[in-house]
Amino acid sequence: MASFPKVKSVALRTISTPLILSAVLVVLALVTVAYGSRPFNQTMIDIFVRVILVTGLYIFVGNSGVLSFGHIGFTCMGAYAAAWLTMPPMMKELSFPGLPDWLKALQLPYGPGAVLAGIFAGVFALIFGRILMRLSGIAASIATFAMLAMINTIYANWESVTSATNSVVGIPIVRTIWPYLIGAIAAVFIAWAHAISRHGLALRAARDEPTAALASGIDIPRVRLVAFTLSGAVVGLGGALMAHSIGVVTPDTFYLGLTFITLSMLVVGGIGTLTGAVMGVVLLSLLIQGLRWLERGVPVGESTFALPGGLQEILLGVVMIVILARRPSGLFAREFVWPARLGARRRNSSAATRNVPAGDA
Amino acid sequence: MLQVLFDALSLGSLYALGALGIALIFGVMRLVNFAHGDVIAFSVFALLWPSTDAVAIVFAGHLPWFLLIPFVLAVGAGLSVLSEIVVFRRFRHASPATMMIASFALGFVIRYFLLMLFSSRPKSISLLPALSQPVEILGARMPLLQLITILATIVMLIALSVFVRRTRFGLEMRAAAENFTMARMLGVRANRVIMGAFALSGALAGAISIILGAQTGTADIQMGGAVMLMAFIATVIGGLGSLEGAVLAGFLLGAASVVMQTVLPPEARPFRDAFVYGAVILVLLFRPQGLIAARGTKERV
Amino acid sequence: MTRTRLMTGLSALALAVTPMTGALAEDADGNIVVGFATAETGFMQAYDKPAQDAAMIRIEEINAAGGLLGKQIKVVNADTKTDRAEGAKAGLSVLDAGADMVVVSCDYDFGAPAALTAESSGKVSFFLCAESIKAGVQGVGPHSFSASVLAAVQGATMAQWAHEKKGARDFYRLLDTSYVYNKGICDGFDWMLPTLADANLAGEDVFKNDDASIAAQISRIKALPKEPDAIMLCTMMPGAVSAIKQIRAAGINSMILNGSAVDGSYWLSAVPDLSDFYVPVQGSVYGDDPNPDVNAFNALYKEKTGSDPATQYTYPGYVMIDVWAKAVERAGSIDAGAVVAELEKMDGEPTLFGPRTFTPELHHQNKARYLIAEVKDGKPGIVDEWTISEPVPMEALMK
Repeated sequence: MASFPKVKSVALRTISTPLILSAVLVVLALVTVAYGSRPFNQTMIDIFVRVILVTGLYIFVGNSGVLSFGHIGFTCMGAYAAAWLTMPPMMKELSFPGLPDWLKALQLPYGPGAVLAGIFAGVFALIFGRILMRLSGIAASIATFAMLAMINTIYANWESVTSATNSVVGIPIVRTIWPYLIGAIAAVFIAWAHAISRHGLALRAARDEPTAALASGIDIPRVRLVAFTLSGAVVGLGGALMAHSIGVVTPDTFYLGLTFITLSMLVVGGIGTLTGAVMGVVLLSLLIQGLRWLERGVPVGESTFALPGGLQEILLGVVMIVILARRPSGLFAREFVWPARLGARRRNSSAATRNVPAGDA
Repeated sequence: MLQVLFDALSLGSLYALGALGIALIFGVMRLVNFAHGDVIAFSVFALLWPSTDAVAIVFAGHLPWFLLIPFVLAVGAGLSVLSEIVVFRRFRHASPATMMIASFALGFVIRYFLLMLFSSRPKSISLLPALSQPVEILGARMPLLQLITILATIVMLIALSVFVRRTRFGLEMRAAAENFTMARMLGVRANRVIMGAFALSGALAGAISIILGAQTGTADIQMGGAVMLMAFIATVIGGLGSLEGAVLAGFLLGAASVVMQTVLPPEARPFRDAFVYGAVILVLLFRPQGLIAARGTKERV
Repeated sequence: MTRTRLMTGLSALALAVTPMTGALAEDADGNIVVGFATAETGFMQAYDKPAQDAAMIRIEEINAAGGLLGKQIKVVNADTKTDRAEGAKAGLSVLDAGADMVVVSCDYDFGAPAALTAESSGKVSFFLCAESIKAGVQGVGPHSFSASVLAAVQGATMAQWAHEKKGARDFYRLLDTSYVYNKGICDGFDWMLPTLADANLAGEDVFKNDDASIAAQISRIKALPKEPDAIMLCTMMPGAVSAIKQIRAAGINSMILNGSAVDGSYWLSAVPDLSDFYVPVQGSVYGDDPNPDVNAFNALYKEKTGSDPATQYTYPGYVMIDVWAKAVERAGSIDAGAVVAELEKMDGEPTLFGPRTFTPELHHQNKARYLIAEVKDGKPGIVDEWTISEPVPMEALMK
C-alpha cells in the first residue's frame, strides 16, 4: 500500500473530473428551470435519477471489472424503504399491514428517508456481498443476477410487507429538480472519493493486474466488498429518489428492463470511467428524447416529419450497436480533466499514478 | 412420482436446448448472447403474416409438419447467422461486457421490430394440434407433446454430440472452444466455425420455439425471455463453454423447478423461484467453475 | 437601448414557453378539454387503443349533439410509451395542454403515474379499464375513477353462477401470481365460495404467467381423487392461453371459469374445439348481445376503426365518457369537485353496458350485471346473464 501516492495529492489532481461533471449537471438543471415545461422538468428528473443509478453501478462494475446484474435489486430495496419511511401512516396500514408498528407510525420527510433508504440498501449489499464477492468473472455476474431474481420474487410476493405486485401509491411526489440534482452530484463525488481511496486504487489494480495485485497483498474479496456495499447504497438512494419522482413503486419496475438500460448506459458511456457513467446517461437519454420528439412529429416546412411509431426503440438499439462497434470501450474511455493538457501529461507520468481516474485510459 | 419425472424432464429439455444454444456461441467467441430469446420469438412469428390485428393471420403455420419444422429451424438459423454477419463480426476483439450489451441491443432491435409488425398483443396459433392429445405411459397420463419434447431433445442431443465428436467441423468447433487462438493457428477457419456455431444455435432456438409454440399456442414477443434466462444460468452453472455441462445443468434446473413446485406448501409456492435462484448461488459458491469445468475458461491467476 | 432589446428578447422567450407551461385555467377557445395520457406505442397500446376509440365515439356523439354545457369537447393526447416514468410526463403534458379531465392507461400499474399528476393538480382522472380498487379513492385519491368493474366481481360472479346454474360443487383454484388483476379475480372467488351451499375447495395452486410449462401444476390436479367440477383460472394473456391449452391437452375436462381478460375469439384457434369454458363480459363482441344498441355500437365501431371490437375491454371507454359527461351536465360546470360530487350521486345509472354506481367510498363497481359467454366447440356466444346477490364487501376488495 505504501507505494501508492498520498491520497491528498491524488485528490487535488483528479478533483476536476467530478467538478466538471457536476457543472454539466448544474447547467442542465438551470436550463430546465429557466426554460423547461413541466414534462421537460420531469424528463430531467428522470435523467438525474439515472445518473445516480449508473454512477452507483460504476462504483462497483467500473472499478472491479465484474459485471453486476444485481444492483437494481438494491434500487428496489431503496425504493420500498423510501415508501416505508415516508408514506402517511394511514396509507401504510393499507399497503403494508405486516410492517412493525413503530415503522408504520413513522413518517419522515423525503430527504432523510432517502438517505436511510440508501443505508438500508447498503446494509443488504454488505450481507449479499459477503457471500457473493468470493466469486469472480462470469460466475459472479450470474450470482448477482440470481440475487436480483431472488429479491424480485420476494418483493413481488410478500403481500404484508411489500404489497406484492400491487403498485404502491401514497409516496410523496417531489417534482422540484433540486433534490435530484443534489443526489446526482453526491453520487458523483462519492464515486470519485471511492475511486481515489486506498480501496478504490487497490480494486482497480486487482482489475487490471490480478496476479500482481494478489502478490502485493491486496485482499480482492474485501476491496470488492467495499465497492459493492458503497455502490449498493448509492443505487438504493437512486431507488428512493426514483420512487419520489413517480409516486408509484412496483417490483417489476426494478427488474431486467432497468438492469439492462442502466448497464447499457454505463457500457456505451465507458465502463471504466466516471465521466462515461455520467455522460453515458446524459447522452443516451438525450438521444432517446430526441427520437421520441421525432416520433411525435416535427414540422418541416409545410408538412410534418414523423418517425413511424416504434421505430424509436429500433433506432436506439442500432445506434448503441454502432457506438459499441466503433468504440468498444465506450464514448468516454478517458475522464474529463481540466486543464485538458494535464491529462495529456499524465499519460507519460509514473506507473503509480496510472490507475487514478483522471489517467485511467 | 413417474409423473414428476416426466414433468421435470420436459421442462428440463427446454432449458437444456436453450443452454446448449447459448453455450455453443459462448464456446467459440466468449459471447453471452442475450439476443437468443428474441431469436426464439422471431422464429414463431415467422409463421404469421405481419398484421397488428388481434386475430393472427397464419401464413407458413399451415405447412405440413415435415415442412414446417425445417422451415422454423431454418428461420432461427438464418436470423442467427445474419446477426453474426451484421453485428457480432464487428465485436470479435471486444470485451465480454461490450459484446453482451451489443447482443442485448440487438435483441432489443428484434423485439421492437416484431412489435412494430405484429403489435404487442399475443397472437394465437394452433401449431401441430395433433400433439395436444393426452397419452398414457406406464400409468402416467401426459400430453403427447411432453413426450415428444423429451424424445426430440434426446435425439437432438445425441445427433449433436455425434456431430461434434465425429465430424471434422465438430472437431474444429471443439478445438476453437478450448483455445480459439491456438485453433486458428492450427488452420481452423474462424469465420466458418463461428458461423456454424451461430447456425446451430439458431436452429436450436427454432426447436425451442416450435415446442413453446405448440405447448402454449401463443406467439408473444416476450416468449423467449424466461427460457433464455434459465438457459443462461444453466450455461454458467454447467461450466461455461462445456456443452455437456450446459445440458446437464438445464435438466437439473428444470427438475429443481418442478420438484419445488410439487413439494413446497401452498403459501411458499409463489416464492418458488427464490428457492431455485438460491440453489443457483449455492452451486456457484461451491463450484464457481461450474459443474463440468471446460478447459481453457478458467480464470488464470 | 440594450436593456430594451434584452427585455423584448426575454418576453419573446416567455411567449414561446407559455404554450407549454401556461393554459392551466381555461382553454383559450372556451372548449372543454379531455386529455388522454395513454399508450400509443409499446405493450399497453393493444389494450388502450380500443377503449380510447370507443371513448372517441362517445365524444363525437356528444359534440354532434351540441357539445357539453354548450361547448365542444376537445381532445389532447400524450403517449405513455407503456412506461411508468413516461406516464407521469404524459400526465403533465396533457394537464399543461389544458386538460379538464385526464384519461389514463387501462392497467392500474401503468395508469397510476399519470393519474397521480392529475390528482395533485386537482383534476378528475379516469382509468380506461383498471379493475383494481386502488384505481380510485383508495389508491390514487378522491378525484380518480375507473370505468370498468372490479376484478373481484368477476371471480365472484363466475363462482356463484357456476354453482347456481351449472351445479358446480368442487372448485379448484389456479392463480397466476404475476399480476394484481389475477389476484383480484381469485379474491372475489375466495369471498364467494364459503357462501355457496355444499361448495368446497378441492385444491389450489399457483403459477407464473411466463412459466414455460405448468406440467407440475397439472399433475397436482390430476392427482386429485376426483376431477373438480370447475377450475377457477385467475390469469390473463398470454399465460391464459398456455394454461388452458395445457389443461385440456392433459385430458382434464372440468369446466374452466375465468375473468374478463380472456374474452375474445382471437385466441381460440390455439385451443381447437375448446368447450366448457366460461367468461363474464360487460357486453358481447360476438354480435349476439341481448341489447340491440350494443350490436349497433359494434357496427359503428367497425365503421370508425375498420374492425369489430376484439374484446369487451373496448366498452368501458364509452361508458367512461358517458358517465363523466352526464356528471358535468348535472354539475353545470367542469369544476372537479362539483363533477366528482355528481358522479358520487350516481346509483344504478343506466349505461349501454349495464348500470353504474359510484359512492364517496368507492369509485368503482363492486356489483355489476355480467353477461356469461360460453365457448362451445371452439365457438363463443352469450348464454346467460348474472348479477351477484351481494356486492363484494370492502374487506375482500382490500386484500
